[in-house]
Amino acid sequence: MRETDLLVVGAGAAGLSAASEAAKHGLAVTVLDDNLLPGGQYFRRLPTGYHHTHETVFDKERQRANALYATTGQKGITYLNDAVVWESPENGVLAFARGADSGRIRAKLTIIASGAHDRPAPFPGWTLPGVVTAGGLQNLLKGQRVIPGRRAIVAGNGPLVLLVGATLARAGAELREVVEAAPILKRLAGSIADLIAMPKIVRQAVDYRLAIMKSGARLRTGWTVIEARGADELEEVVLAPIDATGKVDRSRARAVKADLLVVGFGLMPSIELVRLLDCKLEWKPLRGGWVPVRGADFETSRPGVLAVGDGAGIGGVEMALREGKLAGVIAAERLGKLSRDQAANLKAPIQAEIAKVETFRRGLERLYAMPPAFLDLLTPETIVCRCEDVTAGELRARQDAGFGSTAALKGTTRTTMGRCQGRNCLRTLSALIAQASGQPIEQVTMPRPRLPARLVTIGDLLQEELPPIEMPKDPHLPRGERVS
Amino acid sequence: MAGSVFVETPPRDAEIAVVGGGVAGMSTALFLARAGRDVVVLERGVPWGDASGANAGTLSLQVKRTEVLDLCKLSLDVWKRFGAEMDIDVGFGQPGGLRVATTEAEVAHLREYSEEQRQGGLEFEWMEGNQLRDMAPWLSTSVRAATFCREDAYSSPLLSGGALPAAVGKAGGRIVGHAEVTDLKREDGGYRIETKRGALRVKTLVITAGPWSGQLARMLDVALPIYVDVNMLSVTEPAPKILDRVITHIGGILSLKQLANGTILIGGGWQGRGRFAGMEKFADHVRLGQNLTTAVSVVPDLAKLRLVRTWAGYEAVAPDALPAFGRLPNNDGAYIAAAARGGFTFGPAQGLLISEMILDKPPSTPIGRFDPARLLTGAHA
Ligand SMILES: Cc1cc2nc3c(=O)[nH]c(=O)nc-3n(C[C@H](O)[C@H](O)[C@H](O)COP(=O)(O)OP(=O)(O)OC[C@H]3O[C@@H](n4cnc5c(N)ncnc54)[C@H](O)[C@@H]3O)c2cc1C
Ligand SMILES: Cc1cc2nc3c(=O)[nH]c(=O)nc-3n(C[C@H](O)[C@H](O)[C@H](O)COP(=O)(O)OP(=O)(O)OC[C@H]3O[C@@H](n4cnc5c(N)ncnc54)[C@H](O)[C@@H]3O)c2cc1C
Repeated sequence: MRETDLLVVGAGAAGLSAASEAAKHGLAVTVLDDNLLPGGQYFRRLPTGYHHTHETVFDKERQRANALYATTGQKGITYLNDAVVWESPENGVLAFARGADSGRIRAKLTIIASGAHDRPAPFPGWTLPGVVTAGGLQNLLKGQRVIPGRRAIVAGNGPLVLLVGATLARAGAELREVVEAAPILKRLAGSIADLIAMPKIVRQAVDYRLAIMKSGARLRTGWTVIEARGADELEEVVLAPIDATGKVDRSRARAVKADLLVVGFGLMPSIELVRLLDCKLEWKPLRGGWVPVRGADFETSRPGVLAVGDGAGIGGVEMALREGKLAGVIAAERLGKLSRDQAANLKAPIQAEIAKVETFRRGLERLYAMPPAFLDLLTPETIVCRCEDVTAGELRARQDAGFGSTAALKGTTRTTMGRCQGRNCLRTLSALIAQASGQPIEQVTMPRPRLPARLVTIGDLLQEELPPIEMPKDPHLPRGERVS
Repeated sequence: MAGSVFVETPPRDAEIAVVGGGVAGMSTALFLARAGRDVVVLERGVPWGDASGANAGTLSLQVKRTEVLDLCKLSLDVWKRFGAEMDIDVGFGQPGGLRVATTEAEVAHLREYSEEQRQGGLEFEWMEGNQLRDMAPWLSTSVRAATFCREDAYSSPLLSGGALPAAVGKAGGRIVGHAEVTDLKREDGGYRIETKRGALRVKTLVITAGPWSGQLARMLDVALPIYVDVNMLSVTEPAPKILDRVITHIGGILSLKQLANGTILIGGGWQGRGRFAGMEKFADHVRLGQNLTTAVSVVPDLAKLRLVRTWAGYEAVAPDALPAFGRLPNNDGAYIAAAARGGFTFGPAQGLLISEMILDKPPSTPIGRFDPARLLTGAHA
């Protein structure tokens, strides 16, 4: 079994910042990440050997990006790419799949920096080819420099909408519409005092908006996508305004031709590992939903396990970088490499910066807050679970038949049980249950956490050396405890 | 709720109450309701919320001990009739199964074991060499021989969990969900039942609460020893056809099958970790590894697939591992179906046979040796 002082799961902004800082103070750090290249989502990069001609919005970040990538070669850091952390066989130990190198690792302290994934937002036609998520599109652009269409519409809610719009405009797409569901222009005045805590980001957002305007695309705020249409692939997108009560006003709906629809209704923290580790969760809708409860110093309810970055609550890249760095200092202090005073001196300026990002986030959250109207969009034919092809109609029929709980709907329809492990449908399922039962969504039971945290190749799992198999004398006889 | 197969609260009086809505209880209720009896199922959560919803759905005849072959055949027949005669889609399929042997010792053991089963009425074909490769080219060359039993089958815990409760409702039975039974008392030649959704009185009581059956029997002063295994099961991502038979192993713990959606279930009864109190049940890292190792040693292509999920569930087993069902000792009008190694396989037969007892019909197969009275311990033995 491998051993390390500090184990960091995730080589994104948060994980790499944590690793770099901790190693600087003398810790032996191992970073495990399931991508081939370091950087995580925001700092995703082109594979080696690829070249591109178009500048993207992202190229301005090259300096920070290169500094982060370089940490994987920093003294004291062992970086293992293509390594999927899939379970915790015992306290302080995580198991990972990495081809012939698969195995377990024991750490004195663990930092989970698992990032986020797109929040599912089903509406009629959302599974048509030509409809992609905002995160997915950013990945394609950054990782491959590919735009999967020509005439593009971007729709959703949250800061990624403007970003994706600007990115597409600059990358040469024929951008038609950028559609933000929250009435952000009307709300701007109420948020600006907080937002200017991060002037650089505000400037960036202004740039994004200019880029969108310059491209000739129309920016609508207070509008949403309500349907994607097409025979075999996307042909047109139906947009409609949202009224003051949060309802979609279908009477003013408009159809726009397009062959690419990018949908981004926000992100959700990737919590599968903290759930497997049995960390307590709390519901923070403005941070993406379920997040691990964290004490001071980012510790989860499981001693020795810290959580930072988007995986601990959506905070964006600026938050992830700073939380990571702070966690690195915390780790060095806890493992005896820094005195209390030394650590306090290092922490203070990072904490001050985090406070600024928090202020900015508050402004951002007020700006983008939106009532969840998407359930109203579901028709009986709308697919909720893409892996198992379960429609909203089927789920509602099951609910009407009395199979109303998470377990019963899962058990009788397979929703959440496919290869996405529920990432693309659990939130919708919970929302449907909440709607039918009148409970708030956070009171809807979550399915039990199951391993693996992410899909792993069975062959990899066989690389680990196991004790010899002990067969029971008679496999028919009971092997468990007596219960009555 | 319109169209619901559930009722919100139990009636005050009913003829028969079935406690526990898994495959054993729902089958019992189905046959009683179809016979026109007034039956209420009381379920702690939702039907199929426990072992019946978590299991592999393997209905293998040839893995069964000789003593239970007839019971197993009856149950396979009922599973088949659900779809064929009663229009209840339980996802039954009968591709036949291969029980494999990988070493000389296992081959000898398989010969001996299958011969004994032949005496007990099992029909199978001995397969080796080219015949085996032709039938199952996807088997590892390490498999030296196998017995092929045409009757080995499967059914779908997913489909049956929706279809059987619906069929009970359609036949006039009532199902009360979230109605955990908290107390049982004999009263005026019948039973008084307390549930979390209200109390009721019945003439006849059937306990089909899986591993919790022992606790319920104790409320009526019957001490039955019941054990729980914590079985693990894993499922892969969907794949094009890899195997098309139900696989079991004479010398290793294994069950394998590919479902209609292309996913492959890998199990066989490897033990997870957990405790019964508090419903704690987890996969065990080492034994999962051993389970997968065994699986890949028999079907090498599995190594290429990705694992989507592993889980663990309780299976109730009697000390002698034979099914325990029939009259509840010392309690007139009370019945129990508490434990059976492979209880998903046996559930429909248990339900049919208990309904026959209640309906005063001759049993479809002899059941004397499964009488729970054989297990009695303590003061009431
Ligand atoms: C698809 C996507 C695209 C995005 N694009 C942008 C963008 O262009 N601009 C922007 O401002 N924000 C973007 N975001 C938001 C972005 O998540 C944050 O700004 C930032 O990347 C957060 O950094 P992080 O370190 O917390 O997480 P991430 O950067 O997401 O890094 C987490 C890393 O952990 C890995 N990981 C997680 N679980 C495991 C495991 N079990 N085993 C091994 N590795 C694991 C992940 O694969 C990932 O590499 C995007 C988010 C997503 C989901
Ligand atoms: C992982 C796994 C794989 C398996 N694979 C197979 C297989 O391939 N083939 C096979 O034949 N068998 C298999 N089994 C065994 C099989 O699943 C069980 O034996 C069978 O489902 C038992 O059915 P049951 O109806 O007796 O009990 P259960 O399905 O356990 O149902 C009992 C019900 O009683 C309810 N209940 C409990 N207490 C109360 C109370 N106080 N009041 C009201 N209700 C109560 C419970 O909520 C539950 O719904 C497997 C088991 C597991 C766990």
